[in-house]
Formats: sequence, structure tokens, C-alpha cells
Amino acid sequence: MNLKKQNPIKKILSIKGMGGAITAFIGLVIIYVAFGIINPTVFSGQNIMNLLRSMSKYLLIGIGQSYLLITGNIDLSIGSVVAMSAMISATLMTQGVNPLIAILITLLCCLIVGVINGFLVGKCQLPPFIATMGTMFVARGVAYIVNGNRNTDAISSGIGKEAGESFQNFFYYGNTFGVYNTFWIAIILFVIFFFLLSKTRTGRHIYAIGSNVEAAKLSGVSVLATTTKAYLVSAFCSFVVGLILCAQAGMGNMEAGNVYEMYGVAAGVIGGVSPLGGTGILLGTLAGAAVWQTLENGLNMIGAQVGIQRLVIGIIVVVAVLLDVVVRSGTFKKKGSTKTAS
Amino acid sequence: MNEIIVSMENIGKSFPGVKALDNVRFELRSGEVMALLGENGAGKSTLMKILSGVYTRDEGKMTIFGKECGDLNPKLAQEVGVAIIHQELNMCRHLSVAENMFLGREKVKGMMLSNREMEAEAKRILDELKIELDPKQVVGDLPVSKQQMVEIAKALSTNAKILIMDEPTSSLTSKEIEDLFRIIKELKQKGCGIVYISHRLEELQHIVDRVTIMRDGQYITTMNYADTTLDEIIAHMVGREIKEKFPRVTCEKGKKIFEVKHLNAGRMVRDVSFSVYEGEIVGFAGLMGAGRTETTRAIFGIDKAESGEIILDGKEVTINKPQDAIRAGIVLAPEDRKKDGLCTKLSIRHNIALPNLDLICNKLGVVLSKKEEKICEEAVKNLRIKTPNVDINAGNLSGGNQQKVVVGKWLARNSRVVIFDEPTRGIDVAAKVEIYNLMNELKKQGIAVMFVSSEMPEVMGIADRIIVMCDGKITGEVMAKETTQNEILTLATRFDKKMVSGE
Repeated sequence: MNLKKQNPIKKILSIKGMGGAITAFIGLVIIYVAFGIINPTVFSGQNIMNLLRSMSKYLLIGIGQSYLLITGNIDLSIGSVVAMSAMISATLMTQGVNPLIAILITLLCCLIVGVINGFLVGKCQLPPFIATMGTMFVARGVAYIVNGNRNTDAISSGIGKEAGESFQNFFYYGNTFGVYNTFWIAIILFVIFFFLLSKTRTGRHIYAIGSNVEAAKLSGVSVLATTTKAYLVSAFCSFVVGLILCAQAGMGNMEAGNVYEMYGVAAGVIGGVSPLGGTGILLGTLAGAAVWQTLENGLNMIGAQVGIQRLVIGIIVVVAVLLDVVVRSGTFKKKGSTKTAS
Repeated sequence: MNEIIVSMENIGKSFPGVKALDNVRFELRSGEVMALLGENGAGKSTLMKILSGVYTRDEGKMTIFGKECGDLNPKLAQEVGVAIIHQELNMCRHLSVAENMFLGREKVKGMMLSNREMEAEAKRILDELKIELDPKQVVGDLPVSKQQMVEIAKALSTNAKILIMDEPTSSLTSKEIEDLFRIIKELKQKGCGIVYISHRLEELQHIVDRVTIMRDGQYITTMNYADTTLDEIIAHMVGREIKEKFPRVTCEKGKKIFEVKHLNAGRMVRDVSFSVYEGEIVGFAGLMGAGRTETTRAIFGIDKAESGEIILDGKEVTINKPQDAIRAGIVLAPEDRKKDGLCTKLSIRHNIALPNLDLICNKLGVVLSKKEEKICEEAVKNLRIKTPNVDINAGNLSGGNQQKVVVGKWLARNSRVVIFDEPTRGIDVAAKVEIYNLMNELKKQGIAVMFVSSEMPEVMGIADRIIVMCDGKITGEVMAKETTQNEILTLATRFDKKMVSGE
């Protein structure tokens, strides 16, 4: 038989989607070193810690959005669910509700959005762009309504200073083994969701419906269940990010998480996750989130204004995807050769 | 007449990892139909894509109408007079016939589109080909055969003199094929050169003047069709002789395994009842659109059945969705592999594993790679899927090998009923025989095999019993050994009287 055993390095390289991830990692190193040369503070321990912490949000959002991109869908409600999560948890805590219970209630509310998204897309066959645009507005509306159209007070005003601080430390300010808790949370969830996507039945189903939904159906895959699971993952990730933002600010902000869904798309596509579905791995998303955060951080450190930051980041995303497209299809080469036609 | 209009010499083309064409030559004269034959992956399509400017060649000389051509692109090729009619039709479904024909070359008056002029021109071309079609009609509403006619008309509207047809008859009924052949003959008279790619060797006799045969990216030979035989052609294509085109095994007919009673699902499945016994293959014959695919879809739970019973091993089973059917032991290898059968962006491994995840996962749903490896290895071995490893994308395989994956993914399960819907469409002779052998193997194991096919010779050659459908109903049942093509065809065209007079 010609099914030869490959050597382990080759095997890792041959994993589908690894190419995009590796490219993004290489890009990450180049960007990081380049900024570091301009401003050596970029290499400082404190900056690395900050970088890892702020990257965590993008990583979590990216994981959620990547799940949807791989199924060939999209989740536009992510940013609003983040706000919902921050507002509901903060409001409950300012009312003196035990943080654990507040978190559980918040989780439930966020997952409901995921179920609705899954139902609208998987069962009612609504275009995901429209369905999740609807839930995007609804969830943002809920975030506004929860505390009567205003941001919450400090959470410590309800649950007390001590509990407030431990909540904030757990999700944002505290550290374990010298690394901020936020990063640990993100990386643990990353490992879990990485495993779920690459090693389990659910993961296979997610790739299958993204590649060919008809074929998946005829192979016995439940499109509704799989789509819903993907939306639940993204709702869950948004929920966690909402808590992180709440802990960071010590209060709930109605505008939290604005356009985060697009950061998620960016992290995914920079890391080689195809927005057309069926391809991509979460390692890519990890690299993509890191690239994104390193850019933001680096531009900050060299004193670029916010406007410039946005502009550069926007260009980088387009270039990254363009490179990917060109490498994959050789479009440029073909176009070039037509010019030599007689 | 009959001067050489295309001449390609020493053509070479490589893709990453494969040499698709090696030192190939090809020649086409005006006013002739040249069949380009070869197995899947022989390089026919690649060669024609070079001629039509989709690919550029790595080496070799290409002369069209006496002028040496550099690298072409689709637009340049069109200007030179080359048109290709693709296997998968490339039409904008929401646009009208005329709009499609003039896509990219719209006629304008000043800033405005001149619809009337385009429609008149379209009508003229359609009339010339004696195609009855309203240029205003939306293409998506037309049957595939008419869409193909539109493609041909479109090609002519660009004044194409070299027409490449890639498997043009694969989705046509015999009546439609006749129409197509008539048009091809007319094109010949006009002095067009036609390259005809097809796996249906039987139909060549009606139109073909010469054949060029390719194998594994190499040129084998060119012959006058009149001077050769089908057997010789096949031998050249395969590189060895195929002993039996339709290998048949005889089995004892056992007990009844599977029965469908009074199944109704929409207009295309009306009161369908039949049964399948151990040790037999039941063929489903009929014209395109006779309701055979719809019947398989209703049995498999893809389309909702309105009424009817499905009985497996004496027990009634309820099937509302494919999962139910699979759980019960009924599996379906669907007709359209690109649309329904394969996740082309996923690896062969993932495709084969997909319907079997319940078998290869532990209780937590984690995929056990050893079990997965075993299933894949067996499928590749049993079906002789030609691939360097199982981690390459299924979409990169040749048609025949893709089909083997579609079929292969179901064999790991202990199924009771296996439904094959057009399993050999668009694949080469050798791959066909492998699929037949596989069906025979299942038959020997006592599994009920349903075999839907539009190709009469293979149904008659492989199935033991043939059920004929027409217009959503079963119109007859014959034993393969005792029947004739004519008898089947008569049954296949037995429409309800009401329908005919209602026209």
C-alpha cells in the first residue's frame, strides 16, 4: 500500500491549514522584532505581559468567529453579546448578587443568543449575515436596557470592595506564575476549543458543513445541531470577554465590545481561516490575534496616533488575505503571463 | 474544407507534484468531429484548457488557423475563435438567454443597453440552429439540455470556429442527445471543428470522424473512427485489455431484505412499491427526470415522504432524516458527487470518516485516530483509490477516484441496503469496472443493492432485476437476462395518457 508513514515534522506541516498559521507566526515575529528595534521597550517583560493580556480578548473573540467562519457562516452579534455579558453581570453585581450567580445568569443569557442564532441560521435557513445582524441589534438593545440606558456603577458598590476586587483580579488584574490570569483563561479555553475542533466528532461536523452542507447532510450530519454548537461556542467566548471587560473597568459599559466581531474575523483570516468555510485551524487564529495585538501595541509604543493605527491595521488585514489568495491560486502569475501573449 | 485549423505539438504542462501533460500533440481539421478520449486524469481536460486559454502551457507549440499562438487567456482564445462548453455549465442562472449569450459583449446604443438588438441577434442564431427557445427566458428555469444549447449558441455568437465539448451528453436524455447530435452535424457542415470529450463510447459512432487517445498525460494515437473498433479504443485508453466490461456474479436469491410500500413524495414519487432480496442487485432504469433520484432521496429521508412504508428485515422503520436511515442501515451514494457527495475542501480521510464518526469516536466524541486510519486504509485498498496519501483534498482527485471516495465512505458500516445513484457517471471504463465489482461484492455478502443508472447497457449488464420508472411511477419490472433495450425503453416512456392529452 502506498500509505507511507510520514516523519513527524512533515506530518505536522501537512496538517491542513498549517500553512496559513505558520505564515502568520512568521509575520508575527517579523512585526514584533521590527517594532522592538524601533523601540526596545517592546521587548520588556512588562510589555510582554500586557501584550499577552490584551491579546487574550482578541484570541477569544477570534476562536468564536473562527468556528463560524469554518462552518461557512459568520456571527455579527459577538460584540453585542460581549456588551450584554458585561452589562448583565455588572448590573447584577451592583445589585449585590453573588458574583458566581451573576456569572451563571449572564452565561445563560449569552447562550440563549447563541441558540437563537443557531436556530435562525441552521433551521430557518436565514442568511447568517442577516440573522446575526438582527441578534446584534437585539443583544445591544438588551445591554442598554439592563441598567436603564446607562452604564452601571462600580460593581464593588453592590458586592462590596473585597468581592469586587477578587472578581477584577480573577479576570483581569491578578496574575499566576507571573502571567496575567486573563491570558491563562484565554489559553485554557483555546486548548479546549482547539481540541474540540480538531479531534472530535463535533469538530469534524463543523468542517463538513462548511465545506459542503449538502454532502454533510447526506452523510448524516445534523446541520441544525452543528450550526447551533458553533454559535454557542462564539456566544460563550463573547460571554467570557464580556466578563473580562467588566473586570477591567470595574463596571459595565453599554458600548463595550463595539465591532469586536470584526476583530474576530480579522484574527481568523490573518491566520488563514477561510471566510468561505471548510478550512482553517485555531492555531492560525492564535497567530492572527497575536499579530493584531502586536500591531496595535507596537504602533502605540512608537507613538503612532489612533488614526494611523487603524489605517495600518486595516491595510495589514487586506494584504494578509491577499497574499494568501495569491499564494494559493497563483493569480498574479497568471495575469502576468497573459501580458506576454503574442 | 478539411484544412488543419488547430495543431498542438510537444505540449507539456506541470502542476505542483504532477506532470499533467508530457509531449502531447493534437490536431483538428475544419468540418470534423474529433473525439478526445482517455481515462480520468489522462490529461484531456488539461489539454483543452490550454487550447481555450484557461491554463498556459509550459512548453510546446500551438498553431491555430495557421498562426502560431503564444499564451492565451480565455478572452484571447475567444477572439481567435475557440469556445469551450464546460461539463458544468457556466451560466448566470438569473439572467435571460439573450443576456447570457451577450454577457461581457453587450450591445449598447450610447449608454443604454440595446436589449431588442441582442434579443433579435440571439433569436437569429437560435433559429439557425433550429433551437426553439425564447431569448427572453430566464436561463435558470430551463432544463439542463436547453442550457447547454444556449452555451452552444453563445459560442456561435462569438463566431467560434473551434468548439470544445466536455462531456456534453452526461446529463441529457436520449431525445435531447439526438437534438445535440443534429446540431453538431450542422456545425460540421458550417466548417467548424469540434473536439468532443466523452466517456460514453457507444455514442461516438453517430458523430465522430477521428479519435485521439491519451493516457496518463501522454499522447497515444490518432485514428480514423471508421478504421477502428471500440475494443481497440478501450485497449488504447486503459493500456490493457478489459476482459469483461460488465462482470456479473450469480448468487442464490435469498430472503426479502427491503421493501418499500406505496411511497409518495411530491409529484416525482407516486405510489412506488418494490422489494429487494438477498443476493440480487436491483437496477432502476428510466429517462432523466423519471423520479428515480427522487425515490432514493425519499427513502433516505432527504425529502419528506408524504406516505408509505419502509420495511427492513421484516420490521417497519421510520425515516425522517438521513440520520434515521443511516442508523437503520440504509445508505445512499448520491448522484451528483460535487454537489451532494463530497466535501471537496476536506481530505479524503475526513470524507471517509464523516458518516462513520459514530463508529470511530469514543463516548466523549473524540475521534480515535487508529480506528479512523484503519477505515481509511481499507477503503483505499478495497476500492483502489489512486492517491499518494489520505490527507490530500478530495477535490484534487480525478473524477473516478472522487466517486470511489463517495462510495467508499459507506462501506465501513454494516449496512443492509446500499443505494447507488448513477455511480459511474463521468468516470472511465476501468473505474467503472471497479465500482461494478464492488456492487457484486456487496451482493455476495447478502446486502440489498439498489442501482440507479441511465445507461442502459450497464443496468442490463449488472443488475439482476430491473425496475423501470416513468414520470414518478413504476411502469414495469423485468429480469435483466430476459429483457431487451427496447422493452425497457417502451416502459420508460409509458406516460399517463392524461398527461399527454393535457399538453
